[in-house]
Amino acid sequence: MPGILSELRVLELTNRPSGAYCAKLLADQGADTIKVEPPGWGDQARHEPPFLDEVPHPDRGTSYLAFNTNKRGITLDVEQAEGRELFERLATAADIIIDSYAPGRLAELGLGYELLSQSNPGLILVSITYFGQDGPYADYQGDDLVAQAMGGYLYAVTGSASQPPMGTALQQMEITAARNGAVAVMAALLRREQSGKGTHIDVSTMEAAVSTPSGLIHPYTYTGRNPHRGGSDGNVMDGMHLPTLDGEVTLTTAGTGGRPMEAWAEFLEEPGLLDSKFASRAGRMEHWEELHRLVAPKLAQWSNLDLMRESMARGLVVGLVQTPQQVVESPHLEERGFFVEMDHAGAGPLKYPGSGFFIDGENAMASERPAPRLGEHNVEILCGELGLTIRELGLLRAARVI
Amino acid sequence: MAEQGILYGIRVLTLEQVHALPWGTGFLADLGADVIRVESPDHLQDRKVGPFPGGTPGEEWWNEAGNMVYYGARNKRSLCMDVTNPKGKEIFLKLVEKADIVTDNFRPGTMQRFGFDHESLSAVNPRIITLSSTAYGYTGPWRRAGSRARTVDAACGLSYLTGYEGGPSQRASPNYMDHSVGNNVAYALLLALYQRARTGQGMRVDLTMLETGVSAVGPAILEAQRGITRDRLGCAHWWKAPHNVYPARGDDRWIVIVVSSGTEWESLKRAMGGPQWAEGAKFGTALARWHHRHELDELIGSWTSQHDDLELARRLQELGIAAGSAMTAQDLLNDPHLRERGYMWEFSNPQAPAVGSRFFAGRPYRDPGNPMSIAKVAGLGQDNAAILAELAGLSPAEIGELESEGVVFGAPRPDEPRP
Repeated sequence: MPGILSELRVLELTNRPSGAYCAKLLADQGADTIKVEPPGWGDQARHEPPFLDEVPHPDRGTSYLAFNTNKRGITLDVEQAEGRELFERLATAADIIIDSYAPGRLAELGLGYELLSQSNPGLILVSITYFGQDGPYADYQGDDLVAQAMGGYLYAVTGSASQPPMGTALQQMEITAARNGAVAVMAALLRREQSGKGTHIDVSTMEAAVSTPSGLIHPYTYTGRNPHRGGSDGNVMDGMHLPTLDGEVTLTTAGTGGRPMEAWAEFLEEPGLLDSKFASRAGRMEHWEELHRLVAPKLAQWSNLDLMRESMARGLVVGLVQTPQQVVESPHLEERGFFVEMDHAGAGPLKYPGSGFFIDGENAMASERPAPRLGEHNVEILCGELGLTIRELGLLRAARVI
Repeated sequence: MAEQGILYGIRVLTLEQVHALPWGTGFLADLGADVIRVESPDHLQDRKVGPFPGGTPGEEWWNEAGNMVYYGARNKRSLCMDVTNPKGKEIFLKLVEKADIVTDNFRPGTMQRFGFDHESLSAVNPRIITLSSTAYGYTGPWRRAGSRARTVDAACGLSYLTGYEGGPSQRASPNYMDHSVGNNVAYALLLALYQRARTGQGMRVDLTMLETGVSAVGPAILEAQRGITRDRLGCAHWWKAPHNVYPARGDDRWIVIVVSSGTEWESLKRAMGGPQWAEGAKFGTALARWHHRHELDELIGSWTSQHDDLELARRLQELGIAAGSAMTAQDLLNDPHLRERGYMWEFSNPQAPAVGSRFFAGRPYRDPGNPMSIAKVAGLGQDNAAILAELAGLSPAEIGELESEGVVFGAPRPDEPRP
């Protein structure tokens, strides 16, 4: 089945994970997505460790490979007039452009929404930046950690109350901004179906961080208290990680019919849990070290998958703290057919995560192609579609335009 | 706004609880769809969870929780009806005839028990799109497992990768997974609508929290296949230094500073007043700074701790250095940038007059073509009569009968425990 977005053409002109991931979300649903990279160096993510097989190589950066599936790739220097002109020709036929330039920079280059939409009124331009297109911080510098900090996430969410704020791993604010961008694109596409008109969408990563946890703002405006990190501190039954035979697990009091300690005493065969001092949540927090001494040795006798299977059979709710390796080898994900295997000329065969949903029983993730090598589709697109000759391609290359 | 939204005319029936699915259908409601939250009188947990003004539930607590404004019932309608009652079931199926989308977040099996599985619903309405948002999906050995957002934070690999440098694993967030799943729900539903406009066919979506989570840790998934392990680094970075959170003046105040280039390092040195320790080979190159980053962090921290974080961040940004205060909710509410962008939404809910006017986080993107705002927040069962008359063709007398028979409810049962 061709992807839902297979009739659409997307241009990605970004140098940030948020822009790359947003374009990936569309590409994974079949959109013909062309990643436009600066000649020579390409996407910065190509040069950031870790690299597969350890040796630095522009095709082996794991973030680059993970965030650029199902795209085609060309090189083009839009800072040069000839590069700009070629980009404009591509933009005329594009449905969606995703950019992460500093606010106003595209317009300076003559590639702003006002101009591009004159020849292509249906164009949807999505600008993803750390702080949005306007406001006092519009020109500020950012990265994922800065967005976590300025979005309130760092202070309030991850980490322990008694320690400094701590970040969440693997650029989750970038990914959240990307997901917001993809929702915005779909809404804009549905509008375009009716009106024929495109739009310019302004996505802010800082704001993505503010919106992310179940709202930092209204708990404050309702109670006058600032949400604060540390929710899992000393929380044996509802948040801490506890060692098992081959990993870690986090327990919950869910699924116990309101009698968590009875249910867990029975499951772990540990009558000590029935002590009345553990009956309430407050009591469990107060005596957490003692509780930990009872629970931890019992859990340490279980292997992860056995613990999951047996607790599930009794209706208890646990979370295995899986390593990425355990996720890759998960029998559950294997049976569902979640991973999509693709063979990259520079990186070899790898299993890539799917999109997170199945449509009519089919994995909704396209497996058209792995991430493009730098300039891999220059000939196909610049000659095949824009009509440049091979000779012209050579001249542009010598001039460092492509 | 909701009346003219792009999804005007699209109707969603949602059997939803907790956070992830309500967050997802909330996007559709904000875009103008008629999202009907079908609520069970026996499961009012969402309306009990708060937050409540001053932390205390009021007389009409079921309409007063802040979460209901933030995502639970914003721009939605509420039908409080027992769908396990045969009459309730019959009405629900009538509503399905006039709906475009049915969503649920029960564990697999429950919708089938109700008679609301995809096959049954598409027999009533062949154009229906159904989406189930679950932890582990409708297939696979874990399909019957219960979950919380944080148990899936663990299962997808994110918790394992998160932690202070050299320390144990720690969950990333109690509810980040809810949020990213909600976003994925909205994306999948809009894709389904887009597709249906072309094919005329309904479809079935099986969306999972585990898989959405794994899709967000892709780099680590690839690394694991080649034996690369990722160290936990707290706020530190694979290759940038300085890149961390540093203490600022005051109690529990912090500032993040990120240096990505030699030029930025030179700027930071100037901002620090060109201290002697920053000169010389130890911190002279990106590689040297990374190798000596613990010592570097100590030295920077002793400088930042003398400064106000908000002011210092502003000063560093003026020098082109990526820096930011670790903002509290209060800081964000007062933030001049967010204020100028009109990010916060103020709302006073006529359904909960005791609450008064409050501020809420707004939507993290702007599209002039699809503006969003809070037009209304559904009180429990507020729209019973309108929905039943308009979509099920019931008369006021029939609706009154359903109320007295205990099929539909305009308020919690008299013996419902207070939160």
